[in-house]
Amino acid sequence: MSTTTLYHGEPNGPSLTVLAALFAKQVPADLRYIDLARGERHALECAREPLVALSIEGEGPVLVVDGEAMTDSVFIACYLDDVGRGAALRPADAYARWQTMKWCRQMIERTAPAAAYLGCRAYPPKADAALLEKIGSADLRGRWEQTGAGRFSEEYLADSRAKIRQATERLEAQLGDREWLMGAYSIADLESFAWLAGMVPLVPEAFAGKPRTTAWLERVRHSPPVAQALSLARSADPAASWSVGPEINRWG
Amino acid sequence: MPDVTLYHWEPNANSGKPMLALMEKGVAFKSHYLDLLNFDQHRPEYLAINPQGTIPAMLHGDRVLTESTAIMEYVDEEFPGPRLMPENPRDRWRARWWMKFMDQWLGPSFSMIGWSVFVGPAVRSRDPQELEAAVERIPLPERRVAWRKAISGRFSEEEMAESRRRVELGIRLLEQELGKRRWLASDQYSLADINGFNLAYALPLSQPALSNDDVTPNTLRWLRAIYARPATRACWAMGRTSLVTRAKILEQPHIPAGRSA
Repeated sequence: MSTTTLYHGEPNGPSLTVLAALFAKQVPADLRYIDLARGERHALECAREPLVALSIEGEGPVLVVDGEAMTDSVFIACYLDDVGRGAALRPADAYARWQTMKWCRQMIERTAPAAAYLGCRAYPPKADAALLEKIGSADLRGRWEQTGAGRFSEEYLADSRAKIRQATERLEAQLGDREWLMGAYSIADLESFAWLAGMVPLVPEAFAGKPRTTAWLERVRHSPPVAQALSLARSADPAASWSVGPEINRWG
Repeated sequence: MPDVTLYHWEPNANSGKPMLALMEKGVAFKSHYLDLLNFDQHRPEYLAINPQGTIPAMLHGDRVLTESTAIMEYVDEEFPGPRLMPENPRDRWRARWWMKFMDQWLGPSFSMIGWSVFVGPAVRSRDPQELEAAVERIPLPERRVAWRKAISGRFSEEEMAESRRRVELGIRLLEQELGKRRWLASDQYSLADINGFNLAYALPLSQPALSNDDVTPNTLRWLRAIYARPATRACWAMGRTSLVTRAKILEQPHIPAGRSA
């Protein structure tokens, strides 16, 4: 019998993806809340594991299975999809799976860094200095220092808003007359909602005049796995809870 | 024969990933070589297939696929042949972790160095107006920025130092993790190894002080094992530039520590 522990933060961003996937797939796990916005992940023993310390997702959840610590929300969700029960969270057809993974890759690479940047500016996370010293990745520590000092570049802010607009444009087009992004409810819905739900008040123009996206956001919010994840929130508005995310692409 | 066409450059980095995956699976494909240094990937014929102008792209029947790592997963799932993703779900997680780490963190640092020493100098002697017109045709703004920097050699010292830091760290991490198991993600050869080889095959040549049989024996064992595979040999034989011949260093039985480049 394997033991599974999920260290997660408020149900927003990467923690939301993983919590919802865990509930959708009915995987038994010991849930342990950590305050990602205070850098509490770095107090965990498993944070020193190389694949945790060097995860490029930034401050995301950690799933520990039989002593092995796993990071990166989309890939943890793929793992949960493999081991759990019930309806699959990825299409069975190889081409539809390619579309799903490509979609998630765009969310991971383009949308997530932008959302975390804008989220951290609006709702700055604040870590204890002693915890920051424990951060194993120099570039993640650098992003914490920038965030702590309130140094947000206008160029990155403008680029981040543009990335959110591009994401909702893709969403609106992809949805068409579909209920879910890939046809059936999938990791793509979870990951896209997790990063975009908190962007509605911060980049309102990205959502204006996009009725399909607006309706989809509400469908995902009320889908049972996401609703169950959101019920774990400790704050009044979990979509306003942010911590340092993935880096903005170094190549511009 | 499956109706597969792959648009690719050298068996190197992103182009080499689906090339090698197809060859490991034994899938016959039509090879359409695009000369990256001649900006073939931004010509209208190719933009009609992949409007983003990124390489590689794969046609399978009437399906158009892009994003090299996602293409590899498709190739593995769609075609018969040896499985290139491990069966165990945790091993699969590890394969995906590594591919993301290499695609988004380590790879761009390798390529910043590669562009500054290979791509930039290779195109810089051309007519400046012709080059500027070629750059203007690039659809993605971030790729225009990258090309301008490569052409003019304008990577800042800070950017290059950060790339070198990441390459050093990546070399240490690879060595450490390859000490734990035979292949990168599991005890089975997988897409993570194909991805990693495309990134790291020339390491003992490009980073002789950091990667050699004395300081990174696990990495050298791993690189030689991949290089020895028939699919790798056949794939690397499809290269047309001096990039691919760098792999020959792996034919040396012992590569001692060298001086940094």
